[in-house]
This record gives sequence, structure tokens and C-alpha cells, in this order.
Amino acid sequence: MENTHITNSSTGTSAIELSGIRKTFTLSEDKNAQQVLALDGIDLSINQGEFLTIIGPSGCGKTTLLRIMASLILPDEGRVIVEGEAVSEPDIKRAMVFQTFGLFPWKTVLDNVVFPLIVRKYPAQQTREIAIQHIKQVGLEKFQNAYPHQLSGGMQQRVGLARALSTGADILLMDEPFGAIDAQTRELMQEELMRICQEEQKTVVFITHDLNEAVMLADRVLLMSRGPGQVREIISVNLPRPRTEYDVRAHQEFVRVRGHLWRELRNDLIEQRTEEMV
Amino acid sequence: MKTLSRLETRRDQLIGVALFLSVWEVAAQLFDKPLLLPPVSAILTALWDLIISGELITALGESIFLLIVGLLVAIVIGFVFGTIIARSKTAYWMLNPYFSALFVTPTIALVPLVLVWFGFGFTGRVLVVVLAAVVPILFSVASGLRDAPGDLIDVARSFGVKGEIPLLFTVRLRAALPVLMAGLRLAAGRAVVGMAVAETYLRLGGIGGLIKSYGAVFRTDYVFASILPLSLLGILLVSGIGRIERRLKWS
Ligand SMILES: Nc1ncnc2c1ncn2[C@@H]1O[C@H](COP(=O)(O)OP(=O)(O)O)[C@@H](O)[C@H]1O
Ligand SMILES: [Mg+2]
Repeated sequence: MENTHITNSSTGTSAIELSGIRKTFTLSEDKNAQQVLALDGIDLSINQGEFLTIIGPSGCGKTTLLRIMASLILPDEGRVIVEGEAVSEPDIKRAMVFQTFGLFPWKTVLDNVVFPLIVRKYPAQQTREIAIQHIKQVGLEKFQNAYPHQLSGGMQQRVGLARALSTGADILLMDEPFGAIDAQTRELMQEELMRICQEEQKTVVFITHDLNEAVMLADRVLLMSRGPGQVREIISVNLPRPRTEYDVRAHQEFVRVRGHLWRELRNDLIEQRTEEMV
Repeated sequence: MKTLSRLETRRDQLIGVALFLSVWEVAAQLFDKPLLLPPVSAILTALWDLIISGELITALGESIFLLIVGLLVAIVIGFVFGTIIARSKTAYWMLNPYFSALFVTPTIALVPLVLVWFGFGFTGRVLVVVLAAVVPILFSVASGLRDAPGDLIDVARSFGVKGEIPLLFTVRLRAALPVLMAGLRLAAGRAVVGMAVAETYLRLGGIGGLIKSYGAVFRTDYVFASILPLSLLGILLVSGIGRIERRLKWS
């Protein structure tokens, strides 16, 4: 394996540190039901301000890993440390963006974005201003009072992003956020996300099933394998930023990393296939 | 078919009612058997009489009170049991057959039992309304909660909503609200029927009592005059709930 762990160079504490994460699921309610091993001893350290993308075959445990990073579920074994503190519940340092947008259909755009601030009991006047500011940031100021079903998928995910940003969280946890959005809109949103995250120094964990997207956005790409639920490789992407100013896909580093990842992913799929046939 | 504006629909409805009533009036006058078919004019006179004598207002007040108390009790019971059978498979399999049976049993068939257990009093009458109305509420709570969108629960939790009760109110119940209102609308219709049954078969009182006692002395015009406000009450209740229901839907 090449290019594995980069040690925390500058800041000292990592944004997120995982050690020895294991998680099994029980398939049905009765006691002696079949167990599925979803994550098998994950160690990972994510730097502050880093953009980490996660890619891997479906069912390899990406979502489970992200939900553990968000403390939506607890691991059976292992520790999650966020900015130096062990965590076991969701907190204001981390905000999620969901694949299916996760907007409340009965709330307007503004009410959706305000929601986390109200839950955290921010003063009412302040919450409104913060929310409006972030709705502007994603370019939806004209749609404050619209309902989610009146918006396109891309616009809905902009609301999802504005909601995550409005919490002021340093860490964004995103589970295939652009997976349900058409190709052109997706490229625009990738650019916007890169711009916002660079401006605001966010740490991002971003799951995708799109290799181009994984390489394009990342400082490092984490490749998971159905071993099951293991880190197969972590690879650095040394492409200069801002990446919106040149044709990233034509850059030789992009081609190298993408090619490497594709071979690894392919090997994993083939190994899996042969195991299933035996 | 040409679509009609609201105003045009209203106008056509009014013309329809006027035509129907005219035909009725003429037919009744020609037929001349007021016991079987009283003319509309006689019914309206009877209605007026019921109103100015205060009889109708008293009866209506009694009926509405019974209806509201019965519906409230049905809502509470429906929520409790609906939540239980939504959350527990065992409870669902154990209790569901009884609720289904109750749903298809005509309320009137249960009156003798209620009479034996609770007598003629207010409790018994409320119970009849509850028995008529509780199942649609219970089933809608159960199905609304069972279909709760799992990802919205995740959303709420990830943004700091903690604990089952806050999740129930911020997400589960709100997401289920359109289904709950549909259940309530169905329940309200059945509650009106239950109310009339309780008032005629348990102890005379309210609108049901009015209908029964005028029926017993063969005053068909007064019977019609009492049925009218009863239907009106039901229609207002059901369409009011339907209106709220439409405002709560989101797509
Ligand atoms: N709540 C759950 N209950 C049971 N099994 C689960 C649950 N969540 C995930 N799994 C299983 O864990 C494995 C990993 O799932 P997931 O993390 O969703 O993978 P990915 O996001 O990479 O597609 C899969 O085999 C999946 O079936
Ligand atoms: Mg997934």
C-alpha cells in the first residue's frame, strides 16, 4: 500500500479520530439471528480543514462509518474522538448532509434551515439572520418561503447544505449528497462546495460512488473494501487549489489517482465475485 | 367535462336543492298523507317551532357535548393504543383482531352490553360514541407512526433532538398528521352515528331523543325537522376536518 497515513502535520489535534471501530448488525429481532459484520476495526485520523472522500463498493459500510462519525449510532468497539474529545452523542461540531436531502416536507426552506438552531435554543432573532445568510450563500434567497416539493433536487440539496452550514459546525458529514442530482447541476454544486469549504475552513467527510467526484474534491480518498468493512487504502490527491480554475480532469495527477483507484476497486469487485462463486 | 368555478358549483347546488324541495312540496301536497310524507312547508314550520321553543337548542347542546366528550376520549384512547401497536409487533398481533372486529361491528349491536355494564348514564352514552369512533383514530395513528420516515428521524437526531418523546412530537406525529386527520374525519362521521344511537337506544336525550320521541307520536314533520340539524352537524364536522386536512398536506 502506498500513500497511507499522513500524520497530523500542523494543527496537533485531528478533527476526527477513529480507533478500532467495529460494528455488527443483527438482521432480525430474534436473538440467534444472523449477524452482519459492517465495520471491522477501522482506524482513521482526519485532519482539521481536510476534505476526505470515501469510496467503495455498495454495502461495504460507508454509511455505517459516517453514522458512527455523526454519533447517530455507537460502535460495538472502538472510540470516536472529535477535536480531542471522546463523543457518544450528536453535537454542534458536526453537521450532516443527507443523500435524500432529509428536508422536512411540511417546513418552508427558511424553517428547515432554522431547525437546528431552534433545537439548540438560539435566540429567535439571531437564528433568522443566520439562516437567511446561509440561504443566500447557496443562492436560494428567492425561495425562502417555498416548500421542498416545489424545488428541484439540486435546490433541495442546497437547502440541506445551508442547514448544515447554519449550525456553524466545523465538520460536515455528507453521505452521497449529490448522488440523486443530475450531472450538470452536480458539477456546479461540487464547485460551490469546494469554494465554501475552502473559504470557511471546513473539515469534510464526503461519501460518493462516483470516482471522478471522489478524486476531484479530495485532499485524500479513502477506499473501503468488502473485506468486510475495512480500509483498503488511503491515497493523497496532490492537485493544486482552487481546482475550479483549471481543467482538473486533464491534470496528470487526477488521471494517475483515478486510474489507481479504479484498478483497486475493480480488483475488490472481482475478488468478491470469485468468493461468491466458490 | 367542463370544469366549473366554485361559484358556479355553489349556484348549481342551490338550484338542485330548490328543484328537489319544490318537487317534494308539490308531491306531498298532491299525495296528502302527512304521516308518510309531510310537505316541506310543514317541516319548516316544525323546525321554526323547535327553534323558538328552545327545544332544538337544548337538544343540540346536549348532543354536541356528548359528541365532543366522546371524540376526545376516543382520540386519547386511539393515540395510546395506536402508539402501542405501532411500536410493538406482539401488541399488534394480540390486539389487532379485536379492533378490527370492533370496526365492523355495528355500534347498535353493542348497546345492550353497554346498558348492562354502565346503565343509562352519561358514561354509557360516551362509551357508545367512543366505541363507534375509536378504531379509525387508532388505526390511523398506528399506520401513520409505522410509516415514519426513518431518514427524518436521523435528521432530527443529528441536529440535536434527543429522546423518544421529543422525536415523537417534532417528527413522527407531524409526519403522520395528514393520515391522522383522515382518520379523525372518518371517526367524526362515525361518532355522529354513535351519538344518535346512544341518544335513542340508551336514554332519550339530545337530537336523537327528539327524533325518537316525535317518531313515537307520529309527528313525521317534527322528525324530519330534527333529522335536518343532525345531518347538518355531521356535514359541518366532517367537512371542517377535511378542510384542515388539506391545509396540512404538503404535496
Ligand atoms: N440498520 C441496519 N440493520 C441491519 N443491517 C444493516 C443496517 N445498516 C447497515 N446494515 C448492513 O451493513 C452493511 C453496510 O451497510 P452500509 O453502511 O449502508 O453500506 P454502504 O453505505 O457502503 O452501501 C450492509 O451489509 C448492510 O446491509
Ligand atoms: Mg450508503
